[in-house]
Amino acid sequence: MKFALFTGCVAKGATRELMLSTTRAAEGLGIEFVEMKSAACCGAGVLSEKTPLVADALNARTFAIAEEQELDVVTICSTCQGVLKKTECHIDSDPGYKKKINHLLEEGGHQYTGGKIKVKHFANILSTEEGLNLLREKVKRPLAGLKAAAFYGCYVLRPSELSLYEDSDNPTGLEQIFEILGATPVYYDSRTKCCGFPIVMMNKETSHDMAGNALIDAIESGADCVVTGCPLCHLSLDSYQPEIEKMNKKGYSVPILHLPQLVALALGYSPQELEMDKHIVSTARLDKILEG
Amino acid sequence: MIKHDVVIVGSGLAGMRAALEMCKDLDVAILSKVYPSRSHSGAAQGGIAAALGNSEPDSWEEHLYDTVKGGDFLNDQDAVEEYVKAAPDVIYELEHFGCVFSRTPDGKIAQRSFGGHSKPRACFSADRTGHTILHALHEQLLKHSKSIKIYSEWYMHSLILDGDRCNGVVVSDIRTGAVEVMQARAVIFATGGYGRVFNITSNAFAGTADGVMAAFRAGIPLEDAEFVQYHPSGLYRQGILFSEAARGEGAYLLNGEGERFMEQYAPSRMELAPRDIVARAAQSEMDAGRGVDGKDIIHLDLRHLGEARIMERLPQIRQLGIDFIGVDCVKDPLPIQPTAHYSMGGIPTDKTGHVITDEQGTLVNGFFAAGECACVSVHGANRLGTNSLLDAVVFGERAGRSALTYANAVGHAKVNESHEKTKVLEQFENIFQQNGSESYNDIRDEMKTVMTENCGVFRDEDRLKVCIDTIQKLRERYKRGKVTDKGKVFNSEIYEIIELGNMLGMAEIIATAALARQESRGGHFRTDYPKRDDENFLKHSLTYPKDGELEIKYKPVVITKHQPAERTY
Amino acid sequence: MATFRIKRYNPEKQPEPYYEEFQLDIPQGATLLDCMNQIKWTLDGSFTYRMSCRSAICGSCAVKANGHALLACQRQASHLVKNGDTIVLEPLGNMKPIKDLVVDFKPFWDKIDKIKPYLQPKTRAPEKERLQSPEQFKRIDDSSTCIMCGSCYSDCNVLEVNDKFLGPAALAKAQRFVEDSRDGKTHERVKELSKPGGIWDCTHCAECVERCPKPARPFDRIKEVMTVALEERVTNNTGARHAISFTKSIKSSGRVNENTLPVESVGYFNVKGLFDLLPVGLRMLFKGKIPPILHKSIDDVDDVKRIFMEADKE
Repeated sequence: MKFALFTGCVAKGATRELMLSTTRAAEGLGIEFVEMKSAACCGAGVLSEKTPLVADALNARTFAIAEEQELDVVTICSTCQGVLKKTECHIDSDPGYKKKINHLLEEGGHQYTGGKIKVKHFANILSTEEGLNLLREKVKRPLAGLKAAAFYGCYVLRPSELSLYEDSDNPTGLEQIFEILGATPVYYDSRTKCCGFPIVMMNKETSHDMAGNALIDAIESGADCVVTGCPLCHLSLDSYQPEIEKMNKKGYSVPILHLPQLVALALGYSPQELEMDKHIVSTARLDKILEG
Repeated sequence: MIKHDVVIVGSGLAGMRAALEMCKDLDVAILSKVYPSRSHSGAAQGGIAAALGNSEPDSWEEHLYDTVKGGDFLNDQDAVEEYVKAAPDVIYELEHFGCVFSRTPDGKIAQRSFGGHSKPRACFSADRTGHTILHALHEQLLKHSKSIKIYSEWYMHSLILDGDRCNGVVVSDIRTGAVEVMQARAVIFATGGYGRVFNITSNAFAGTADGVMAAFRAGIPLEDAEFVQYHPSGLYRQGILFSEAARGEGAYLLNGEGERFMEQYAPSRMELAPRDIVARAAQSEMDAGRGVDGKDIIHLDLRHLGEARIMERLPQIRQLGIDFIGVDCVKDPLPIQPTAHYSMGGIPTDKTGHVITDEQGTLVNGFFAAGECACVSVHGANRLGTNSLLDAVVFGERAGRSALTYANAVGHAKVNESHEKTKVLEQFENIFQQNGSESYNDIRDEMKTVMTENCGVFRDEDRLKVCIDTIQKLRERYKRGKVTDKGKVFNSEIYEIIELGNMLGMAEIIATAALARQESRGGHFRTDYPKRDDENFLKHSLTYPKDGELEIKYKPVVITKHQPAERTY
Repeated sequence: MATFRIKRYNPEKQPEPYYEEFQLDIPQGATLLDCMNQIKWTLDGSFTYRMSCRSAICGSCAVKANGHALLACQRQASHLVKNGDTIVLEPLGNMKPIKDLVVDFKPFWDKIDKIKPYLQPKTRAPEKERLQSPEQFKRIDDSSTCIMCGSCYSDCNVLEVNDKFLGPAALAKAQRFVEDSRDGKTHERVKELSKPGGIWDCTHCAECVERCPKPARPFDRIKEVMTVALEERVTNNTGARHAISFTKSIKSSGRVNENTLPVESVGYFNVKGLFDLLPVGLRMLFKGKIPPILHKSIDDVDDVKRIFMEADKE
């Protein structure tokens, strides 16, 4: 398994632990990731507010680079995944637009052909038969007793025609992975909802309200921790958790994990090795469960 | 008692256009049993006709001729002439309101071919023209919300007709069940058609003859009730319409043997012959056992048009096929059958939308009607596609103008509020108290079945007599039903029961008028009188209520430019 | 035999909603609405809901099936059966129920009203039609398909916690006028729409796109309004500043500068806004989560700059 890794911006910045744990998880599983160092930011759905054309062009450039490398692209961020798929669909369905995009790319020496490489989220490659077998094979420390609530991140689910999950309203990809890692998946309604990150600056009450509701739902459903496939969801649920607690006058203290952290824990890495001590919300209460 | 200058019942295209005509000068109320943007006008797909000449040179004279020929010469030609002349300005005005029309490369309103029209004069918005116009008018209604009060989800029970003057309507608020009298100087009915008396119909559930029957109960005869249009391309079993626009874009009609059977019935126009001819052709094929798999199915084949053209011109039709029966018209032919689509008949009016009450054309003071519930008559025995949206807007405007003139000249008349309210309250009470064993659902199903089978595309004396007899028996059984929901808040069950009563009344009128017309013309086809009989029946029927029975009289057709000729395509 | 688990509500009987189950054999090819009618007409006449056209154009019959909004007439009932044999039916979300599945649409219509949903023409009406090219028609074609069914409004994640948000239907309808070449109030419109409760309160969850029974795609329309607002230089708000800062960052380095982004979004002179950022900023600094001050560019960033410049020229 060899892929071009599209890291996304936040994994190298405010959630560096994501990049680190992805590297560890890949190591442990024997997956080769080639970091796409010249790929630009996906735009996160924000660049396209200002300049839809450039946003698409930059993503097409990313695809072109992957085509040149003859490698499928793997994302570790739900937002990157959703935005890239949207661009792919838009360009592929409109030959005239594709021409326009390629015209912009030309001078840089890239051309997007289309249909040659796939764009998948890390969770999607783990969910393939090969991925699941790898997990089964390499789990060293089954996460027995850990009740994990998945939080998918809306960009990776909707619109459903762009999602790689079979049923966006009732996805099971992450929960299936949790089970193989030995953890107990917790199902709850909010797992497919939005964390509110895109509006955390524009309307923080609304944003924190949304994140707060998801946390409460997870807690009331019995979760020890929330595991997410999107670093923006992580920022919303983890870094802003004190704000949410203050707003609702409650204490949650729910640890929020990145998916690759959960995988790497099961592969035998320690929380420190995965920089779980960098999280705003302490993950210490998981230590007991991890020690078995 | 609620008081307004004018009350409009029905908020589709005709009702809304009437409201806009009067709102600058009068205090207008518009009442609808569904929220205005839910009106059935929105379901019209194909287009709205006008001789703009944006695609090919065209003229109102050609539009007039096509309409009269399409109507099998039963149209009142003076009315048709004014109507087709008004058409271009009506379209431009809609565009000025903001209507989103499909365009030609040079920016004008695009026009396409349509069955029965000799020139491409259907202005359209992809395949959702009715929806686009409805929403454009609704937007204008919201713009003028200070002078137009919308009574949404209010039901109209009866017309207040005192001697020779119309003074308002008795209504109820569906949300609360409260009965009110609405006093007005003038009343406009724009209540739509009554396809729901049939089993297979394109009409919404709301098409239950409420307006026409309220007028009838007030003593006003219904004109040309026997003329019901069967649209050839209704979704099999569901009746949902597949627009004629598909045929306008070049789709084929195929029988079970894969033949384009229209060759036998209308060789020069083929699939673009008028609807009644196509519907009868399809029905004949099915009756002769040449339907698909021997069933009552014909195929509408669009495959040869290709995906790109279908997605550009007919996207909604494709989605309808996928959603309602899982058939993708890009890959497979669509199964269709004739569906009861339009009511040519209705409340008789003159060319200004003023209701008349007899063959002499006596006006009913203060009562106006427009759109499908009215019969001017511009459509005669058969309506051409794209002429109905035009009808609604042209006569909505005219009825509005007439009502405005009339209302400005009179004051409010006295209304005996308790007397008017009592009748309706009693009706509710009767239904609530009824403790019979009949199932309203069964009565409704049986009515629809007998109407479709015995008063459908092909009719004859024996079958019509059986039909009338059956309906009369159903009306008796109707008195022995029982309502489950005894509540007042949003009791949709009791309204459905009241609507059923209206439909039974209308069904009997349609069948009786059909029995009386011993000829075939337009949408009315008698297998025992297969020819058109101008000598005896070049006239409009008027069905009167008389001592609990139905009495049929006739009034002449206005013929100006075109003498009746043979109708071939 | 399928079980229809329906959330009933009858204020005349009891103040709280309650669930009731009905058993029904789903006929072949039946839509959810067909089944609802069967229940009403043969099992319980008091079961109440709205419906009219049954052909997905009037927008009356939107309901929540299995937790998500859809048009009852537009879905095969057999496709909705979950957990073996059950379909859960509830009224639309974010709206108060009146009876059973009938909800109060007044707040929905009030919000439509707020965006001035009618053409405000640029020019006086000509004799004939105003000209509009097919490309201009295409800009407003999608939003014109909206049937005002309320499905998007029902499932909007923002409306769930904030009823001051105008919502996807009103904002998508706004786009239909903002981008109508015949409308003369573009600037005024986007100025209003950029205020709190408007476009910048959308959280991008795309529930509206998912639930819309037509090609209206409200979220995509909202983004188009954002682009116009930025073109019209209506930028004195956090959402617009955020987009501008984001763009600037990518243009110069190919990736987001997470240090300048929050500051530029709230505004350099927005003392309160900056103050509000302090707790989370300090928290992250303390945990070592602040990205390096010296912001690194991606490899081959010149290509990115070039693309921006070339696109600007066009």
